[in-house]
Amino acid sequence: MNKKIGVYVCECGPNIPERIDIDKVIEELSSMDEVKTVKKHSLLCSNDGKKFLKEDIEKEELSHVVVAACSPKDHENTFMKVCEEAGVNPYLFQLVNIREQCAWMIPDKDEATSKAIKYIKAGIQRVMFHDALKKKELEINVDVLVIGGGISGIEASLSLAGPNRKVYLVEKTDALGGMAGKLSRILPHQGTEMGIVKEKIEQVKNNEHIKVYTSSEVKEVRGFLGNFEAVIKSTQENEEGTEEEIKTGAVVLATGFDLFDLKENPVYGYSENENVVSALEFEDMIHSEKIELKNGKKPKSVALIHCAGRKEKGYCSKVCCMYNLKFAHYLKDNLPDVEVKELYMDLCLPHKQDQSYFDKLKDKGVEFIRMDELVKTKKSGDKIEVEYRNNDKKDKFSVDMVVTSPAMVPSKGTSHLAELMNLPLDESGFFKELHEMLNPVATPMEGVYITGCALGPRNIPESITQSHATSGKILSSLIPGRKVKPEVKVSEIKEDLCTGCQTCLSVCFYGAISYDAFKGVSVVNEAICRGCGSCVGSCPSGAIRSKHFTYYQLYLEVLEALR
Amino acid sequence: MKNQNVLVIGSGVAGMEASLILADAGLKVHLVEKDSLIGGQTIKFEEVYTNMECATCMLAPKQQEVLQHDNITLYLLSEVKKTEGSAGEFKVQIEKKARYVSLINCIGCAACFDPCPVSLDNEFEEGMSQKKAIAIACPGALPNVPAIDPENCVRLNGKKKDCNACEQACGFGAIDFTEKNETINLEVGAVIVATGFDQFDVSGLAQFGYGKHPNVYTAMEFERLYAQNGPTEGKLTLREERPIKSAGIIHCIGREEKGYCSGVCCMYSMKFAHFIKDKSPDAKIHEFHTDLCVPGKSHQKFYEELSKKIDFIRYEDIEVKGKNGSLEINFTSNNGKKNAVKSDMVILSPAMIPSTGTEKLAKILGISQDSMGFFSTKDQNLSPIDSEKEGIFVIGCAEGPKDIPDSVSQAEAAAGRVLSLLQ
Repeated sequence: MNKKIGVYVCECGPNIPERIDIDKVIEELSSMDEVKTVKKHSLLCSNDGKKFLKEDIEKEELSHVVVAACSPKDHENTFMKVCEEAGVNPYLFQLVNIREQCAWMIPDKDEATSKAIKYIKAGIQRVMFHDALKKKELEINVDVLVIGGGISGIEASLSLAGPNRKVYLVEKTDALGGMAGKLSRILPHQGTEMGIVKEKIEQVKNNEHIKVYTSSEVKEVRGFLGNFEAVIKSTQENEEGTEEEIKTGAVVLATGFDLFDLKENPVYGYSENENVVSALEFEDMIHSEKIELKNGKKPKSVALIHCAGRKEKGYCSKVCCMYNLKFAHYLKDNLPDVEVKELYMDLCLPHKQDQSYFDKLKDKGVEFIRMDELVKTKKSGDKIEVEYRNNDKKDKFSVDMVVTSPAMVPSKGTSHLAELMNLPLDESGFFKELHEMLNPVATPMEGVYITGCALGPRNIPESITQSHATSGKILSSLIPGRKVKPEVKVSEIKEDLCTGCQTCLSVCFYGAISYDAFKGVSVVNEAICRGCGSCVGSCPSGAIRSKHFTYYQLYLEVLEALR
Repeated sequence: MKNQNVLVIGSGVAGMEASLILADAGLKVHLVEKDSLIGGQTIKFEEVYTNMECATCMLAPKQQEVLQHDNITLYLLSEVKKTEGSAGEFKVQIEKKARYVSLINCIGCAACFDPCPVSLDNEFEEGMSQKKAIAIACPGALPNVPAIDPENCVRLNGKKKDCNACEQACGFGAIDFTEKNETINLEVGAVIVATGFDQFDVSGLAQFGYGKHPNVYTAMEFERLYAQNGPTEGKLTLREERPIKSAGIIHCIGREEKGYCSGVCCMYSMKFAHFIKDKSPDAKIHEFHTDLCVPGKSHQKFYEELSKKIDFIRYEDIEVKGKNGSLEINFTSNNGKKNAVKSDMVILSPAMIPSTGTEKLAKILGISQDSMGFFSTKDQNLSPIDSEKEGIFVIGCAEGPKDIPDSVSQAEAAAGRVLSLLQ
């Protein structure tokens, strides 16, 4: 192709001419053979500027365009659009930053000018070897696969399902409801009963757009946003081998939590003492309205021990302080004269209404005891002796019954799915969200979201909110009729250079590379690839090429800059 | 729901996220912001916990997206004055104050600042520096276009009607003294309230000496102090420009008075300590707390790492006294013993309270406030972002104290609720 490069130097108002001798720049560049025209403009990103640019590109019949102006983060897209409108492939364009990287940081005008000239020349060398990349569009499926039938999965399903969108809800046990379904009173603030979860399960069952699979697991998930394929397998004995393949556009992981095993640390006295129960077992007692010791008698004193597993796991489970207050309220309201002691490390009451719930308890005569550490929980006749340390002093008391609150840990489903789908886990084994602050329900795999305790300890309102958040993201991106536009500046692997070592696979954060065992080579899925280039650098055979950051492009750019 | 327009009130992290999700889905978003810039409180922070990421860098791409999105119409210096109607057909009246500077012509070159004859305290910088009557809130403010304060500008307030120093300095004809306040009427299908929070006023608590002793800072003041784009460009110094050799950070200020724990202060207090220690490894730091609120996955680890470098003290009573140009923190720790610690600087971590204007806005929208002054929501447990009025949602700290990830989750959830009502 006969290359006709146009170079446009933007003055950016007073920003650039104050520090860079633009006329000198133009003079230097005009003498280059490859350059057909060099022009300046006071403000290229303005409406006037863009009009000027488009008209000049057309007039000069350019094949490539270089703009020397501000940061690509500001206006690369702006000028790429202008190129497209002027009939030039938008990827045959380079924006050279002579504002932030020259004018704004070099006080000496000669030095700044000379750097700007170098930068622009380097950009010209580079752009000549750009490929005319083509944008792609893919048809999408808008249905959703929800894995996990607890309150989070149920809520996500209900908010997503509709006449244009089917939801496939897969639950490994034989019933929906998850952990929330096992609680008696899930809402300490209004004392609402477990009926709420039952109601929601009914809504799911009656929703014609939600297909529920209980006693089922997801065996496989492949694909990318708008184009996932999954295999659902029944785990029931007489239906082994029954598999169903479904197609969806997004996946929501709602695999919930398990509880820290109190048997792991003898300090909790769980195995030795029959009247030491876990919080979940106590929930069962409340549900059956039978708070009793193993000998059938009602306890006259109960200790609620917080933070079991906190030190072992290294995090606070956030919800236990509140549910222990719920337990204390229940005991005081239902067992006459019962003595209640709460043994805790820190009172975690982060929601606006939490503290007042705690304040109400003080009037009921519950004793709150602070501890640095639990020392021992041992049998003492008919009672249980609890020993703890606070401020280097040890102390103890005896009670009839102990209810111990175990830390929330990731469910087994979480680690299984993470491996299956190549998703990262954090240090504690919960799913790792894409960005701690700004993307709390997304994963590095576009189209795969997480909600609820699969992400980490949280309460029911928070899980419900997160389920609605995943639904917000899905409803906003997977719209029936809309197409997905994957990244263009992706990586590609040269088959004849690839040795099949799979190093690239191990460094790909997005799961965009797969290994073709038949051919013995790795392959980039261009629909998932985000163009980060990690694989390019990792390949020991140099078989991987970034479509917009090729070795040749970069080599010429740097060579020119260092001349 | 017929109408596919949505009103979002507040352009902080929550308001921006909700706006972007709805705009990406194809809805028209009207984003109303009372200040002259977008980004809310988060852009005042230098870093956020626990990965200590630069807050302004983190938010800048979101801010740019909001400013450039075809489906988002942004109204700055604007407030909602009236609403009527119901879900699907709300009628809203917005008052947009004049900026006097064109958002289209101004390129943010800042040539108009120096010539302006009027200086005043910069509220964004918690009064720790001055700005002109024509100014941007801070370097990096977006949009990068100044606004003229009509009360202080001598031309606009009539004190010197012929002053046109800024107009003369402007090379782009961006200044327009004739601009008027505007009343805009909109019809929307849903409303999302994201008006954020303010800081509890610590000056009412005499025992901490704020305002009396110069080196007692509030959390927001400290955030601006160590911000790279703040009044000292991130240099950690005391008010008399001495370096900080010791600091005491006191948690839970206002907790008893307000009756709730604000959930984020323990973590940001630790963020402060982490930052000071990073810049001045020899600085002696004490953190005074009641309960340690560390509910996030990475929070306890952050605390454990920090406790190797600084002292954490659990207190029952605490007060700050000034002694011989230094500060002394007198406290009773939870083992009953009384003690004192000298400190160059004291940072007070105050409760989060509903932002000013919450009461007024609640009346305008026809929704109520809870006993703590935050917007009330219908069911704290099942639909924490639904207000009592269908079609009006409350997200972020407008609903109650919370951290950034929870604000973003609520914003995405509100967008989800609005989209699902339309599906």
